[in-house]
Amino acid sequence: MKGTIKDLLKVSGVQGYIIANQKNIQIKLPSMHRLAGAKDRIKRLYDDLVQARRRPGNTIEVFLDDMVMTIFISGTTMLIVLSSALANLALVRMTGKLVVANIVKETR
Amino acid sequence: MSDDIKGGLDETRCPEIIKILSLGKRSGRLFLNNGADTGNIFFREGEVIHAQCGPLQGMKAIHEMAVWTSGEYRFDVDDFPDVVTVDRTVDEILNEAAERIRQMDRVTSLIPSSSAVYELDPEIREKEISLKSIQWKVLAYINGKRSISDIAQKIGLGVSDTMKVFYTLIKTGLLKEADVIEAESPSGMAKLPDTSFMKALTGDLVRAIGPIAPIVIIETADEMGLDLLSDDSNQKAALIESLSSKIPDENMSLQFLDTMTDWINAEAE
Repeated sequence: MKGTIKDLLKVSGVQGYIIANQKNIQIKLPSMHRLAGAKDRIKRLYDDLVQARRRPGNTIEVFLDDMVMTIFISGTTMLIVLSSALANLALVRMTGKLVVANIVKETR
Repeated sequence: MSDDIKGGLDETRCPEIIKILSLGKRSGRLFLNNGADTGNIFFREGEVIHAQCGPLQGMKAIHEMAVWTSGEYRFDVDDFPDVVTVDRTVDEILNEAAERIRQMDRVTSLIPSSSAVYELDPEIREKEISLKSIQWKVLAYINGKRSISDIAQKIGLGVSDTMKVFYTLIKTGLLKEADVIEAESPSGMAKLPDTSFMKALTGDLVRAIGPIAPIVIIETADEMGLDLLSDDSNQKAALIESLSSKIPDENMSLQFLDTMTDWINAEAE
């Protein structure tokens, strides 16, 4: 496996993803998704988790009503994966770790 | 994206698949597995550009996979490598693979499988024997308990290459088949279920953390309350994830995650 976004989107139940870094925020979600237009909220989340550097660890899982937001942080890069709560969440975390490691490697 | 090219290596061997993909000028990744061993061959417009099989890369990896006669393969059209490790034409690759299969047919006529165990033969016939360094290296690990695949793993050589070295050593009269039937296994290995998932998991974890891997697997499964015989992919993924966090080297941990994620995905398809 290459550990690319495509690998992530192949995981059953994954709805989309958000990549944020110091320069921009890229949201790839279905247009009707309730986080599709939430750029400001994501920016605040990024500032809180990455810029403030307050939180130890690098994977955060947030269970919302009908979906799971899995956040991967590596350096100043943040990847958020939105998936159904029924998805294989361990597989989402494994693939997400590989993807964020590749993103960071490519930006070095 | 899967392109629906998949099947069993017992029906179509690796060189034939390479030929088909080459003729079709395909681009993408050919994933192969043979029990616990997995490998990938990457194509760009029908040319092979990269191959990897465990720690082996390039032509060595292709040689290893060319002789697999069991397992499965699958072709994905959207994966491309960052590196190029093969710079030969498909015809050259196929010729080498054919030669390799011929050599391995000769080897397997003498050595039935890589799980065979040999020991030094004290009744040596020759007065003087000279050895290549790789033969000496293999010889140093032979103890009448370790199987050929165990030794291949220890010295970081492909299984088929190691079998070739054994073939020469047997022909020289240095080795004889050991009395033991079971290969030496790390402590705790016997407790692990004999499933293809567990073999793949153990093989990969041994590469990352050494022979303590089976014990770590059992302890981790106990801690998490997981059933090692379960066929549930959620449980398998949770176990892999937890084990990856126990690998101290970050690169090795990612490599382990990478291979095992491939395994889980292949199983799901």
